[in-house]
Order: sequence, then structure tokens, then C-alpha cells
Amino acid sequence: MVVITDAVCPFCGCLCDDLEITVEGDGIVNVKNACAISRSKFMNHGENRISSATVDGEAVDYLEAVEAAAGILAKAVRPLVYGLSSTECVAIGKAVELAELTGGVVDNTSSVCHGPTILALQQVGESKTTLGEVKNRADLIVFWGSNPTEAHLRHIIRYSAMPKGLYTPEGRKGRYIVAVDVRETRMERVADKFLKVEPGGDFELLLALRAAVRGGEVQADEVAGVPREEIAELAKRMKGAKMGIVFFGLGLTQSDGRHMNIDAAVGLVAELNHHTKFLISPMRGHYNVAGANTVTTWQTGYPYAVDFARGYPRYNPGEYTAVDLLAKGEADAAIIIASDPAATFPAESARHLARIPVVTLDQKVTPTTMLSRVVIPVATAGVEAEGTAYRMDGVPLRLKKVVEPHGGVLPDAEVLDLVIERVRALKGEA
Amino acid sequence: MPKVDVTLVSGRTSQQGVGLEVGKTSEQYFESASFVELSVADADALGTRDGQPVMVSTAHGSVVVSTRRSQGLGEGLAFFPYGPWANQVFGSDTGGTGMPLFKGVRATIEPAEGGSVPTLTELVEGLRRGG
Repeated sequence: MVVITDAVCPFCGCLCDDLEITVEGDGIVNVKNACAISRSKFMNHGENRISSATVDGEAVDYLEAVEAAAGILAKAVRPLVYGLSSTECVAIGKAVELAELTGGVVDNTSSVCHGPTILALQQVGESKTTLGEVKNRADLIVFWGSNPTEAHLRHIIRYSAMPKGLYTPEGRKGRYIVAVDVRETRMERVADKFLKVEPGGDFELLLALRAAVRGGEVQADEVAGVPREEIAELAKRMKGAKMGIVFFGLGLTQSDGRHMNIDAAVGLVAELNHHTKFLISPMRGHYNVAGANTVTTWQTGYPYAVDFARGYPRYNPGEYTAVDLLAKGEADAAIIIASDPAATFPAESARHLARIPVVTLDQKVTPTTMLSRVVIPVATAGVEAEGTAYRMDGVPLRLKKVVEPHGGVLPDAEVLDLVIERVRALKGEA
Repeated sequence: MPKVDVTLVSGRTSQQGVGLEVGKTSEQYFESASFVELSVADADALGTRDGQPVMVSTAHGSVVVSTRRSQGLGEGLAFFPYGPWANQVFGSDTGGTGMPLFKGVRATIEPAEGGSVPTLTELVEGLRRGG
């Protein structure tokens, strides 16, 4: 029996790095310090695995599947390379290389989570920090359109509301927690103040709050369902904080207004910085979606939605983003790495995946693997393979390999290497 | 047949996270993502009890799922866990941003007496047929 300490959880953007994993033989028998989702990931990592590489549903040898994948991608005119947020950074780099080699488009799952955040921050900047600084200094924390009790289960315990830090010795008692949402979630019980905003009303409420911080008086009785007295009270509290932060989620990015909601949130935080120290941070979902943006940026100059059709990278969300590319029927082939767009995209887009040859690298059977012409089972990064991932605040952490890969499969990066080598040969670039 | 008009929001839940790590073909995943939550007032208006099937329809599509009541939802607001069932009713227009509208979509919900919730395999077959 071996106990692996300080293991990093490869599920959400919190990348909790204090797990203790007990391994007996080839199997994980216990996980300590993990949330329910993390525990499910480690304890069930061997369940429902893809048993063999397949081409057209027939089990084939690994290298035969690689050859079929390379054949599809080498022939394609406009292949889509998509996914990448639940794998490690070397694999992400290889995916970018494959997109360049095939003259395709590379996009990651941020286009359907915090893509609008990136669009806004590229326009108006970001007052950012690490989760360690939040733990040590923040005395006012706002969760806007995000629900860590469902999506980032240890965030409030490890990083934000609860922990005792250097300048926050009282922990939860010394902090004022605000939650803003369209529905009453468990955050209503966690927060000192819960504001229920009307669906689609975030932009309006953020602007009203900014006006109140600036000293303006809100004339309307209520804004987006929130009484003006509560807006004035929150503005006063925010200005009086020693250090505050807004953690925001998909409640802002996936609602009407999208990037303009984030623009308004950044504007509020900028206003607050005339009075005190205030910061803003997206609650990133997949454990390495921040890494997907980081690696793609350092390789191409752009964080997602990158097109190599002209041989050099071009960036245009709305055109080179996966949902759009599929909905318009532009992609004539796709390789999906560590993602399940057939389940996570609107059916209007997902249908195109059924019309084109798709290659998928994944561990478990998903709607996308069911639609794929070629399926290649791979090792799970952070469980069966090492690698680097970026936490939601941009801090890189090293993932550990805790058990041998199920059935001796290879990590994403090694499979992509094999595919790249064969695509080069087929294109006569070897 | 009673109907309610709602604003639909989708989102992640911890149970859906736990279920997907068991596997998307698992019963746990099916249970975690194939329902819609309604306010008590809307569920009363439809006369549905928890677990009964309803049809959720938008301009983009429709799907039968089971229903649950939620005290946290105001009248006229419905919550759909993120996943392939929810994605039957969301559109792919991104308004030039890359992001579809997954929250704040107008929908109609009505009882689906005798209807059954499609399995994951049936949803995939639907994508294949282009339906």
C-alpha cells in the first residue's frame, strides 16, 4: 500500500493540491481531502473505460487507429481541433501543432465557458490576483453568477470564504460574503447577503452598483429586481472593505450581454479601486482550461478560436469558435481531445459531428465517442499520467501520476505525437 | 392541457459532476442530467409531481425530461442541468461571440403524459438522424 500526498485534483479550476491518495496494487482504494466530484473521479477512474481503440466501431490495434486518424486529418480541408481543457499542457501544445500542420482551427472549451470573459478582459484589462492573496487578505467576497457549492466544491473552504490567512485570522467571521444569482442556491445559506437578480438583469445591476460606488443616487425603486437601498448598502460595504474580490461565473458569460456583462463587472471593480483594493477573477471550470488558454496564447498569440487556414494564426471568436464552425457546417473533419462536444454543444451544432469523420481521444464512452469514426483510449492526466495544469488564477501546478494507465494506454500527448508524425508523412512533409 | 411559459437557465450541479466521472453511460449520470427543475407555482400549475415527464420546448427544439420542484426558483424560472438533454433545446447562435445563450432562453413546459425520457443512446441516434 502506498499513500501519495499533495496530489493535485484534475477536475475543476481549483486544482486542490492537498489530496492523499492510497494505492493498493493497480487500484486507488482511498482519497482523502477530496470533494465529492474529485472522489468520484479518482475512485471511478477505471469504470466505463473504452476497452479498445476502434475504427468504425470495430476494435483495432492502437497504431491502426492512429493511421486512420492521420488519414482523416491529412485529407481534411478545414479540420477542427477541439477540447483540451481536461488534459495537461504538453498535449495542448501538440494539438496546436496538429492544427498548424493541417491548416485547421484549434479551439478549446473556453469558447463555451469563459470565452466572453477573455473578450472583455482583452478590451478593458483585469485587476487580478492569486487565490493565496485572497485567503490571506480578502475581507469582502462577492460570488456573482457563480455557485461554488455545486461547481467548485472546496473553493469556499480552501481559498475564499472560510480559510484563516495571514491578515484574515478570524477566517469566515472576519469576512463579508455576498452572492448574486437569479435563483436561490445553497450560496444563499453560505452568504451574509444574497441578492436575487432578474434573469438577464446583471448588466443593469452592475452599472447601478458602479453608479452608487461613484456617489450617485439610484432613482428607481429597484434595479433588475434588487431594491435601491440594498444597492446603496452593498456599494458602501464594498468601498469600506480592506480588500475585496468579485468571483464571477457562467451566470454572467452565458446570459444575454455575455462579454458586456464582464465589461460592466470590470468597470465596477475599477471604480472601487478609487476607494480601496478590489479584484476580479473568473471561476474557471475545467481543471486546465486556463492552461488551454495559456499554452495556445504562448504558441499562437491567441487564447482560443485560432485558425491556421492561411498558414499563420488568425483569431476571431464567433467565426473560428467550435459551436459556430460546426453550426455553419464548415468543419469537414474533427479531432476531439478530452472533451464531449456532442453532449455539451447545442444539438444544432452537435449534429454536424455526426456528418463528418471525427477522431476522439478520451477515457470513457461519451456521446462524442459514440459518434466518432476513430476512438483512441488514453490515460487520464493527473491520475495515470503526469503533466502541468494552470489553476483558475493562473498558477501552474504539477499533476502526479498515481497509478499505471488502464490497459496500458498512452497519454494524450504521446498519441498526438504519433498522429502528427503520420500526418506529416501522408502530407509528404516527413 | 396546462402549459407554463418559463425562462430557462442551465448550469452545473455537483451530482452531474459526480455522475460524469462515473461515466456518461452510467445510471447516475442519467439521473443527474435528465430533469428540469420548476418553481412550486409552475409545477402546481402543471399539476405535475416530482419524477413525472414533461416536454420542454423552445424555438430550437424540444425534449422530454422528468420534473422536480425547487423552492429556490421563482415563478416563471426553470433550471436545467447542463448536458445532452438540456442541449436539445438551446440554439447555436452565438451572436458573434462563440458562446451560445445557455441561460435566459424562453421555453414552454407541459406535461408529457405517457412520454418517456430519451436515453443517452437515443439522443445520440437523434443527432445521427439529424433530428
